[in-house]
Amino acid sequence: MRLLRVIPTVLRQILRSPIRSGLTIVGIAVAMFLFVVVEAMREGVHTATQVQAGDTTLVVYRENRFCPFSSRLPQFYGDRIEQLDGVTDVVPMQIHVSNCRASLDVVTFRGVPRDDFNTAVTGETQIIGGTVDHWQSRGDAAIVGEALAARRGLRVGDRFSAAGLTVYVAGILNTDHPQDRNIAWVHLPFLQEAARRGGTGALVTQFNVLVDDPKQLEAIASDIDALFTHDEHPTATRPERAFVGRAARDIVDLVDFAGVLAWGALAAVFALIANAIVLAVRDRVRDHAVLQTLGFTGPLIGWMVMLEGVIIGLVGGLLGAAAALTTVRVGNFSLTMEGLNMEIAGGWTAPLLGVAAALTLGFLAGVVPAIRLARRDIAASFRAV
Amino acid sequence: MALIECRQLTRTYRRGNEEITPLRDLDLDIESGGFVALMGPSGSGKTTLLNLLAGIDRPTAGTLSVAGKPVHNLPRRALANWRSAHVGYIFQLYNLIPVLTAYENVELPLLLQSLSRSERHDRVATALEAVGIEDRHEHYPRQLSGGQEQRVAIARAIVTEPTILLADEPTGDLDRQSATSVMELLAQLNSEQGRTIVMVTHDPRTTEWADTVLHLEKGRLVEQAVGSERP
Ligand SMILES: Nc1ncnc2c1ncn2[C@@H]1O[C@H](COP(=O)(O)OP(=O)(O)OP(=O)(O)O)[C@@H](O)[C@H]1O
Ligand SMILES: [Mg+2]
Repeated sequence: MRLLRVIPTVLRQILRSPIRSGLTIVGIAVAMFLFVVVEAMREGVHTATQVQAGDTTLVVYRENRFCPFSSRLPQFYGDRIEQLDGVTDVVPMQIHVSNCRASLDVVTFRGVPRDDFNTAVTGETQIIGGTVDHWQSRGDAAIVGEALAARRGLRVGDRFSAAGLTVYVAGILNTDHPQDRNIAWVHLPFLQEAARRGGTGALVTQFNVLVDDPKQLEAIASDIDALFTHDEHPTATRPERAFVGRAARDIVDLVDFAGVLAWGALAAVFALIANAIVLAVRDRVRDHAVLQTLGFTGPLIGWMVMLEGVIIGLVGGLLGAAAALTTVRVGNFSLTMEGLNMEIAGGWTAPLLGVAAALTLGFLAGVVPAIRLARRDIAASFRAV
Repeated sequence: MALIECRQLTRTYRRGNEEITPLRDLDLDIESGGFVALMGPSGSGKTTLLNLLAGIDRPTAGTLSVAGKPVHNLPRRALANWRSAHVGYIFQLYNLIPVLTAYENVELPLLLQSLSRSERHDRVATALEAVGIEDRHEHYPRQLSGGQEQRVAIARAIVTEPTILLADEPTGDLDRQSATSVMELLAQLNSEQGRTIVMVTHDPRTTEWADTVLHLEKGRLVEQAVGSERP
């Protein structure tokens, strides 16, 4: 109960040194912002690149090729793949991107046959503007992923250009599949026509293969590659997420390295809180001796100091996490490389992790000063000041 | 039986290899309701004795009991609780917490007791009224004069209705006029509320409010001819 009754006193101590508390809190918020953004990036990359138990999509690509411009497979491969056991669907795709390098704003076009749209998009999907019929009725129509539409401010009926193509927005797709959210789906012949102007012929970039049993994913991938090993265009087939992870290796490595920044941010938070507490404790030697004279026990004063660290950490953590979450959500950022997308996760995991970390660090930063304080001799404290 | 009983009270400090004994084999009885002034040269052990009586320091040897209860051998936590219930301490430099208002400073010792907010409010208001600054609840220490700060500090010392009130040079930092009114306040607390007061002082004038004047020299009480220190 005593622990609760002193909480207002602790709050007053924080609020009535507004400059000191404010500076510390701003510092913590900045560090936490960094931490949460990096974590959100890591989470997004993880989701996009780690194969999950229920995955049923394989990507067939040209062996040893990584960029959509250099992966060329004959479209008739699709018929042969479709005959394999366990394969439910094969969608040939032509990929056309506005920028092949790692970038935050790349437009990726995927060409699919007119009737294959519904099988090409996987997972929970919903057309939230326009219709698939509308798309099917126009040769230059595109169905645009929600994230891409938000980033470019696109609506149904708009036209937009990227990578030398101009398309008409016939629909907007809402989906939980990170690849599909950032893509413009167009008609395969439309893209092939565009590619032919560059002189390729009836080729596609890749096939997306749907299998019926997720456990068979790897086995079917080997079957597909075995089918074409001695062909002119050997293939490399991988689960979709593994494919993304490999193709975007540079980004994955970069983001992994950014994990170091996250640890650095945590270290900064710890240092800021610890510094604030050490200074506060040093400043208040006399105040604490007075409190002890009044009958406050050493542990109670230690608790007050720890609570101060926890509150400062919590407030700074909440501010930083809120700012990071807002930035990530409003910005709709996605990392794109080789036409593949990794969205920065706008979920609650990273912010919650950040707030929990700030809270824990606030607590830890207070422990040692609190213990030392709890043992201090009153009469000696009065003489020391 | 006296309210405060010191027997063979000794306090030794160790500084490096050197040992200092500011208080040696002190026997002292203070009756309930007494107002004792403690005088003596600088370094004679006055603050040391007061700190022992307040339970913020512990004797190296000897015994101390207050209201029949031995205090010298209480463990830290029990001693803290004992202070909270029985001791009011007034410092020379007031020692108010600077970020808290007068009201909040006086409320501090009550936070250790299981009282409701409104019970605390009543007691703080009563204490501030008793020291004559009921109109300064929301003022911070820096907005008060020295005399007013000391009054708030006295309110903080009496708000728990302690058994003994200890004051270490309570007027040492005040001008004549403020010192007189603080002494009148202490005398009033002594005579009207029956508070037992032990006060350290350097100023012989302040001893006229006390009923007993003790002289400490090199850690021992010395006999002093009555009135010899008085002007
Ligand atoms: N914690 C301590 N460590 C070492 N020496 C101490 C300690 N406390 C007191 N002393 C020594 O004990 C002696 C008596 O100190 P005390 O503060 O009791 O004197 P005093 O009578 O209150 O003096 P003054 O009138 O100057 O306040 C001094 O020599 C002081 O240096
Ligand atoms: Mg002294």
